[in-house]
Amino acid sequence: MKHLLYFSFSLLLFWSCNSTKNDNKDHLVFRYNEHKNIGSLDPAFAKDNADIWAINQLFNGLVEMNDSLKVIPSIAKKWTVSEDGLTYKFTLRNDVYFHKHSLFKKDSTRTVKAQDFEYSFNRILDPKVASSGRWVFNKVEHFKAENDSIFTINLKQPFPAFLGLLTMKYCSVVPKEIVEHYGSNFRSNPIGTGPFKFKRWEENIKLVFRKNNNYFETDAKGNQLPYLEAVAITFLPDKQSEFMQFAQGNLDFLNSLDASYQDEILTTKGELRDKYTKTVNVIKGPYLNTEYLAFFMDSEKDEINSKNLRLAINYGFDRKKMITYLRNGIGIPANGGFIPKGLPGFNKNTGFEYNPEKAKQLIEDYKTQTGNLNPEITITTTSNYLNFCEYIQRELTKIGLIVNVDVIPASTLKEGKANGKLDLFRASWVADYPDAQNYLSLFYSENFAPNGPNYTHFKDETFDTWYTQSFLESNVDERAKLYSKMDSLILKEAPIVPLYYDEVIRFTHKKVSGIGNNPINLLQLKRVKKEL
Amino acid sequence: MMLGQNEDSEQLAIVKKKYGFDKSIGTQYLYYLNDLSPISFHSKTEGDYTFLSQNKYAATQLFSIGNTTTVLKFPYLRESFTKQGKKVSQVLLETLPNTFVLAISAITIALFLGVFLGVISALKKDTFLDKFIQVISTLGMSVPSFFSAILFAWFFGFVLHKYTNLEMTGSLYQLDDFGEKMHIKWKNLILPALVLGIRPLAVVIQLMRNSLLEVFNQDYIRTAKAKGLSEFQIIKNHAIKNALNPVVTAISGWFASMLAGAVFVEYIFGWNGLGKEIVNALNTLDLPVIMGSVLIIALLFIIINIFVDIIYGWLDPKVKLE
Repeated sequence: MKHLLYFSFSLLLFWSCNSTKNDNKDHLVFRYNEHKNIGSLDPAFAKDNADIWAINQLFNGLVEMNDSLKVIPSIAKKWTVSEDGLTYKFTLRNDVYFHKHSLFKKDSTRTVKAQDFEYSFNRILDPKVASSGRWVFNKVEHFKAENDSIFTINLKQPFPAFLGLLTMKYCSVVPKEIVEHYGSNFRSNPIGTGPFKFKRWEENIKLVFRKNNNYFETDAKGNQLPYLEAVAITFLPDKQSEFMQFAQGNLDFLNSLDASYQDEILTTKGELRDKYTKTVNVIKGPYLNTEYLAFFMDSEKDEINSKNLRLAINYGFDRKKMITYLRNGIGIPANGGFIPKGLPGFNKNTGFEYNPEKAKQLIEDYKTQTGNLNPEITITTTSNYLNFCEYIQRELTKIGLIVNVDVIPASTLKEGKANGKLDLFRASWVADYPDAQNYLSLFYSENFAPNGPNYTHFKDETFDTWYTQSFLESNVDERAKLYSKMDSLILKEAPIVPLYYDEVIRFTHKKVSGIGNNPINLLQLKRVKKEL
Repeated sequence: MMLGQNEDSEQLAIVKKKYGFDKSIGTQYLYYLNDLSPISFHSKTEGDYTFLSQNKYAATQLFSIGNTTTVLKFPYLRESFTKQGKKVSQVLLETLPNTFVLAISAITIALFLGVFLGVISALKKDTFLDKFIQVISTLGMSVPSFFSAILFAWFFGFVLHKYTNLEMTGSLYQLDDFGEKMHIKWKNLILPALVLGIRPLAVVIQLMRNSLLEVFNQDYIRTAKAKGLSEFQIIKNHAIKNALNPVVTAISGWFASMLAGAVFVEYIFGWNGLGKEIVNALNTLDLPVIMGSVLIIALLFIIINIFVDIIYGWLDPKVKLE
């Protein structure tokens, strides 16, 4: 027995001495953690942020979006839009090469042609692929490669935000011969044109990308992008472990704020704590993400159908206080409508201010009108938003409304809200493309869930008319005005309780630069530099 | 679930068709059984759910009648929902070996350390040392594994990181940051194996102590003492072997549940095993992966239980297999 102990002890010593690090190459690798795991590296399935971020390093589309939400050229060097707004004509660069692969035969690579876009877009529409991005082409009549470098798209009806839609990762270009060779395994053998190329993916452990030496973009000084040699993504599921790894310096980047560590790193005012100011940078900015509670308007419950109660909930809690204390000041209290701050159409006066007296009166009105002296509602939420719901619960109980909070897993919540099984639930909407129309589509009556994103089953004829009208309005200011009008129309009926407009928050170590920030929370690594 | 926030009816219909959800529940169940069964029936029409596609099945054709082919195949567990296009069998194949390594290490630690501490405890019966070991073992039995896992990870991996050089999280295999080589990292095994071993350890200590005390009262021990053998020799040659019987049977029983019960430990330590995969699958409602894992665990339970029965018969001649 003693021998065994000695043996294990010496083994332990051996391990402790055995750790060697590639310190000299450390500044060439960018490391971050993806706690949600990555489902696929195939752009046809780029539906979650986790997937989109990784895919964004590997693939390019015709156009891309810069940090101020402007559509800028990518593989298309220029484009024209016809006067009726129906035809888009793109001229492609001729110096964009796919990542090297032996299937390309000569030179192991080839240039991207307009026909590749035709194939890639057709693939998104192919029922056998069952891509989640099919809806992107709902307004497209047809598309065609005129020759190797001219690609045209015709729309069924004018759609001013269409270029924004084209920046989505679904619209990336993929090479036909490689996709057909791998079939569904293209998810783990991606070949694209992006600043990084796929190196290796040990699922649940690590995903590594390496620099694409043939990348077509350069910086302002003419140096080729990207600067980094490699990107390494780990998959720790636990956010607290992720934070500890960041604190130990094993991760370069932390992209969210979780209740488990927010007080450790931030003060209640939303500033970095002293012990981190020397080593950590924090980047903050608006995020096109509205966090809200939604009522299911076709509910059979009397409480949910009562406009008085819905308004009472909206007036009955202090959003400002909620953000200060529950999110350490990260996020903008949603005193406006459903359209978040940062988009044309946002109007800070459409929403609800904290007014407990009015809320109390509304609840009293409900009680006298219906004779129901103990109105009761249930908020369904996932565990990470429990503290918000509990706060609302406390505030509303004070003014006479009984609130229950039901915590369920995210996937069950998603299913429940799509099928109208939940009366009042927590939800969020992240902009797919930066146009308020994307937000307002949640209240268009033809989009009723499960056939569309109208989870509340809100229906209003005036709203529907304005909604269809907004597609025809090409004047940006007029359109924004129309959006505002629609937004306030929604809030009058209060099918939702806007909570806050999120902010993107990113933490990096001081030696990392060039990471940038944008309201669609896209991770762009091609301009990132890391010091020794 | 497989669509983003923008799903519409057309997309839903396509996804439903792809996974066979457009059929009635009964039909879906029969299809599932058909996929699982080694002998199964398949349609020859492309587009049917049971179409014998090369991507799905690894099969040898037996015979065909009309439009139906009968094949002999390896059970098909379908594709993961969240890992688009990845086969469940592939997922299991990647994770199960890691769980196996973890369970074996945990059981080994529990067995050796447990026997050692059990012997000490029995020898020093009713002394402070015995009481101390008893308290520790009771504590080990009653602390839930998800709690001890966090405690161990934080204490040894974070607070004492400088001295132990152990990481809070990590798998058996690690890929370097440039994606060149896979390294096997035995040191990542230490903490999860310890945590997972705590409970069986506690059981082994108790069992060992009690059965040893019982053995000490036997006549042959007195005879050995009378022969003038040293205490160490008595324990080594006479007592331990006889006291080990109940321990071995208990521990083999634990092994099976360990393969299934490493869920929390794996999740917290980020150990790339079946348990972590199950948690992920449950969180994302990845039903094929959940079904596949449950089936494989059930299979393991059956195999190990048969195995334990055989060992038991071999250890204790009084038990005969019939």
